[in-house]
Amino acid sequence: MLHNIPAKDLKYVGKDVERIDVVEKLTGQALYTADYEFAGMLHGKVLRSPHAKARIKKIDVSKARRLTGVHAVLTGNDLDYRVGLYLVDKYILARDTIRHFGEAVAAVAAETPAIAQQALDLIEIEYEVLTPFLDPKQVFDKKAPLVHPDLGKYSYVEAVFTPVPGTNIANHTKLRKGDVDKGFKEADFVFEREYTNPNVQHVPMETHIAVGKWDAGDRITIHTSAQSPFTVRNLFALSFKIPHCNIRVITPYLGGGFGGKAGIHLEPICCCLSKVAGGRPVRIQATREEEFSLLPCRSGLIYNIKTGVKKNGKIVAQKMTMYWDAGAYADYAVNVTRASGFSASGPYEIENAWVDAYTVYTNKPFGTAYRGFGHVEFSWGMERQMNYVAQQLGIDPLQFRKLNALKAGSKTLTGEEVVENTGNVTKCLDAVAKSINYGKLTPAELARQKKTGMKIGKSVAALQKAPAMPPFTGTVMILKLNEDGTVTGSHSLTDYGMGTYTSLAQIIAEVLRWPVERVRLPIENDTDRDPYDWQTVASKGLLLSGNASILAAQDLLDKCYEVAAQALRAQKCDLDHDADKVFVKHHPKSFVTYQQMAVGYAFPNGNAICGPIVGIGRYIAQGLTNLNKENGQGNPALDWTFGAHGLIVEVNEKTGAYNVIKVASAYDVGRVINEGSVRGQAIGGMLQGLGTAMCEGYIYNDKGQLLNPSFTDNKIPTSLDIPEEIDCIAIETPQIDGPFGARGVGEHSMIAVCGALGNAIEQAVGADLIHMPIRQEDVWKALNRRVPVKKAAVKAKSTVKQAKK
Amino acid sequence: MKITLTVNGKKYQRDASETKNLLHFIREDLGLTGTKEGCGAGECGACTVVMNGKTVNSCLILAVEADGAEIMTIEGEAKNGKLSKLQQAFKKNHAVQCGFCTPGMIMSARALLEKNAKPTVEQIKEAIEGNFCRCTGYQQIIEAVQDASGQLKKKEGLKRAS
Amino acid sequence: MLQNFSYLAPETLKELYALLKKSNGKATLLAGGTDLLVNMHNHWISPECLIDIKKIPDLKGIAFSPKTGLSIGAATVCIELINNSEVKKHYPLLAEAAHHIGSPQLRNRATIAGNLCTASPCADMGCSLLALGASVELGSAEGTRVIALKDFFTGPKKTQIKKSEVLLRILVPAEMAGAKFGMRKLKRIKGHDIAVASVAIARTSKVMRIGVGSAAPTPVVTGDLNPSLTLEKAVAAASQIISPIDDVRAGAEYRRFMVKEFVEQLYGELF
Repeated sequence: MLHNIPAKDLKYVGKDVERIDVVEKLTGQALYTADYEFAGMLHGKVLRSPHAKARIKKIDVSKARRLTGVHAVLTGNDLDYRVGLYLVDKYILARDTIRHFGEAVAAVAAETPAIAQQALDLIEIEYEVLTPFLDPKQVFDKKAPLVHPDLGKYSYVEAVFTPVPGTNIANHTKLRKGDVDKGFKEADFVFEREYTNPNVQHVPMETHIAVGKWDAGDRITIHTSAQSPFTVRNLFALSFKIPHCNIRVITPYLGGGFGGKAGIHLEPICCCLSKVAGGRPVRIQATREEEFSLLPCRSGLIYNIKTGVKKNGKIVAQKMTMYWDAGAYADYAVNVTRASGFSASGPYEIENAWVDAYTVYTNKPFGTAYRGFGHVEFSWGMERQMNYVAQQLGIDPLQFRKLNALKAGSKTLTGEEVVENTGNVTKCLDAVAKSINYGKLTPAELARQKKTGMKIGKSVAALQKAPAMPPFTGTVMILKLNEDGTVTGSHSLTDYGMGTYTSLAQIIAEVLRWPVERVRLPIENDTDRDPYDWQTVASKGLLLSGNASILAAQDLLDKCYEVAAQALRAQKCDLDHDADKVFVKHHPKSFVTYQQMAVGYAFPNGNAICGPIVGIGRYIAQGLTNLNKENGQGNPALDWTFGAHGLIVEVNEKTGAYNVIKVASAYDVGRVINEGSVRGQAIGGMLQGLGTAMCEGYIYNDKGQLLNPSFTDNKIPTSLDIPEEIDCIAIETPQIDGPFGARGVGEHSMIAVCGALGNAIEQAVGADLIHMPIRQEDVWKALNRRVPVKKAAVKAKSTVKQAKK
Repeated sequence: MKITLTVNGKKYQRDASETKNLLHFIREDLGLTGTKEGCGAGECGACTVVMNGKTVNSCLILAVEADGAEIMTIEGEAKNGKLSKLQQAFKKNHAVQCGFCTPGMIMSARALLEKNAKPTVEQIKEAIEGNFCRCTGYQQIIEAVQDASGQLKKKEGLKRAS
Repeated sequence: MLQNFSYLAPETLKELYALLKKSNGKATLLAGGTDLLVNMHNHWISPECLIDIKKIPDLKGIAFSPKTGLSIGAATVCIELINNSEVKKHYPLLAEAAHHIGSPQLRNRATIAGNLCTASPCADMGCSLLALGASVELGSAEGTRVIALKDFFTGPKKTQIKKSEVLLRILVPAEMAGAKFGMRKLKRIKGHDIAVASVAIARTSKVMRIGVGSAAPTPVVTGDLNPSLTLEKAVAAASQIISPIDDVRAGAEYRRFMVKEFVEQLYGELF
């Protein structure tokens, strides 16, 4: 939409506009959920299971109920409600069976957090500890204990997902493109390897928090730090069979989300406690420790890739098998499996492809959406595999990537044809390669090697991602013209830090030809006030809401033109507008200002016309389809954003210690709407990717108990951990149906950083890494040709088949 | 226990619960909610305030320990509704995303600039290493502090290739 | 959110001793609180009473004399040690060791004595003060006693301090003033992290000691070594005193390797 306007003709779009929510955030005046006090508010706390799998033999809450100051105590026995996004498999509090370490077993609400904690301590539980199922690779073992024996009875989105009752498979995504057997026969070489990723925590700085109030007559009000207020409302309504109109969900300022707040989490517990407490609001604020196990994480992945390749470097066949370690509940993991399944090869054309992606239930904390939605994880394996194959063939890894990169005329795994305006991954690769002086060491780098005694390595990695969303994903923007000629927007995309609201304000300002300062988009959302949006996930916000914003601004102008046409006795085609007024093109002194028409235009004698002005823009993804369940073919992608990272690392060959010297990242964003925001997403995501690559990840014991649920032992990058140099490059191949040609780039910066790091370390010192994160110790072990580090209960396995025909 | 302390230049006298930490005291008893809680364990720095000239994690101090102290919170940074130079630099350099770490981050940067008007990049990194930020990747925050101390020659930007 | 306890802040040692005696082991001493309040936040401990020692003048301050060496009062926080001119002059790298502790916010609050009393195997001041041959002075209503730091730690989170006692000051011997000193710390990130393995070496013309952290149940130290010991023998001496384990932070084998590596690095630096 408006994709072909030259940058020089744009006044607000593409400019470095300051964030519209920055002043309140800088002064501490922005109100997050925890900053609100409600009359009569109680404090809720959740009792968590210390076991990964157990049967609740007995639970006695009588002492807790008797404690002074306690207003509600609930166990699973009190709540026969299941909740689930795509597959309805989770009780609000565990009933009879514990399925993961940290699972909610009971909940209390009391007058103070301290009393609530005392009440928890008074709950007596007897568990029968059972053997957990922890290794997703054992999914085909017929003797494996089932995490959900009742899987066959659960309801799920049948058009999209395929659970296999009687197994631990929550979903099996299949993709078959071309003839993979024929492809492998044609191949000169076949390489097969397996790569692994652990569970990872999102770590938004604001932990999950919700305040629920369940009033008489089943009227519910929820204040929550959720990314998707309408999803919370919808899932709540479905679980409790309460009309949607009775449920109001308000999201104040959000302290980060990264996917971890995309679904529904603490809200039902708060509301159920409130109901028992006679409608007093109940707040639950997750502790940092609870973030790691009560709340969801990112699924682990074991990724087996078998690549068939010609001598000249062209990949002719690839068989990909993904074992997603989804944990105890399906949540978003089934859809991560689907979305990864159709992207599994990375931004490369594979003529003959075969993907089996399994969402495997295990007795671990459950996986949900996390920035990149599966792509960070599979890209680790895919980008390591690309380097591995290139090395085996003796081809430069950059050339190998470019040779196989998706380009105009290529077909994606689902059979979608790539066109010029899809974007250009080759340009991204070239840009980062240039930025890091790929393929050689500069004199300065050679001198540095000499000085430090460390070895410098360089690599590039490429990435792609399309929003993972239902084909019918839509949104609305409503623009209300104010008396003074400013405009207030209403919509339900949330801004948990990305800066999308500022970009939308720029888009609206551009169409209206008004300064951004006259566009207000309230950061808080309220399902009673604002219109529907599916969710704020998937990097779809800018494209869908951006288009809705254009349409709303155009609709608002259209209405202004109607008023002016009547007031000025002119035809609409003869009118034009500027920042202050609608005027007759040929007689600019003949005009009506926005102030004059905002709430209804009045003639000098008092006659009035038209009423208050509101512009509405509705937009829904166009032309998307469900994927064929047997072969995965179809059109799932709203847009593809391509990108690449170039990375320079120095490694101590003896100890495995390494420093990231530089990361250069390039993304084909279609059109830059806000320079500062694009750069912010690029750097922020890159460092989050480096966190995943360098140090983050869950560690369990063999009983499935999480050993590192804190910042003490789950480190995230600090300011001292950033690369010495960071370069961000935007490529702008316009997306024809994107707002001013733009496409999303929220998640992409996190993808492929891991592969780039692993490849650069290998290039520097030859350490062959197949598990992430890459700790210093892991490099050392790889250098000493030790067995790859066993991090989770999951065993990493490396099989190298090199079948020369 | 009765305590007296000065917060952002204003004197407060309160009966503080012994079991309440300074963070909750500031947020709940004084109503200054700009200071945030990110972990409660002194790791993330979201609750950073300046106490007697030094940055501290207010979650690891009892309110009663702050008796007689002089404290600055984020609410003391802007004067008369006008952003400080430091805040303006954060604004200009896109150093804020979700905003949850921002109050603590500003406090660490403020304490740094009080004792070192021209910090190097390394000194800036070290001064804010106790403040986790999960959104920005720190780079734009570092640039903002450089800018606030008059050391950013040119605003860092995005490279545009066609 | 913390469970109930009472808070007391005595202003003299005499008062403190009386309170300790009265509480009969039910009170916990509060200095910087950077460890204690975390443990309470996590409900790992719930003391009935906290006795804040920071208002006692006798426990404050750093003093140096060429005769008696360095004395670090129990209420001294890391940043005071780091900025102290006598420390910078005579034990410059002790300041560096204190700099390894936590983040700026923690260094502004955490005490050196607290770092020792916590008796974590990874205590950053542990291995460095051990290498310097430091001792600690403990006091109670019954009087004071000085014990060598190497005898102070008795196990993970366990020390020689009795219920009625308080650590008054840390004493670093005068003969170690001007010693060559270096420290290495293995971390998982470049930002603040507890030691995954750490080594400190202090060496004068008369004596050398190697302190090691996170590689045994407590911080450990070699005996007094000949300062002209060969690298091989120094590595052997350090390797003998450690007994590392596998945990979430690192494997025993890597810890053992890094201790050896750090000794080698420091030897290269100090000799």
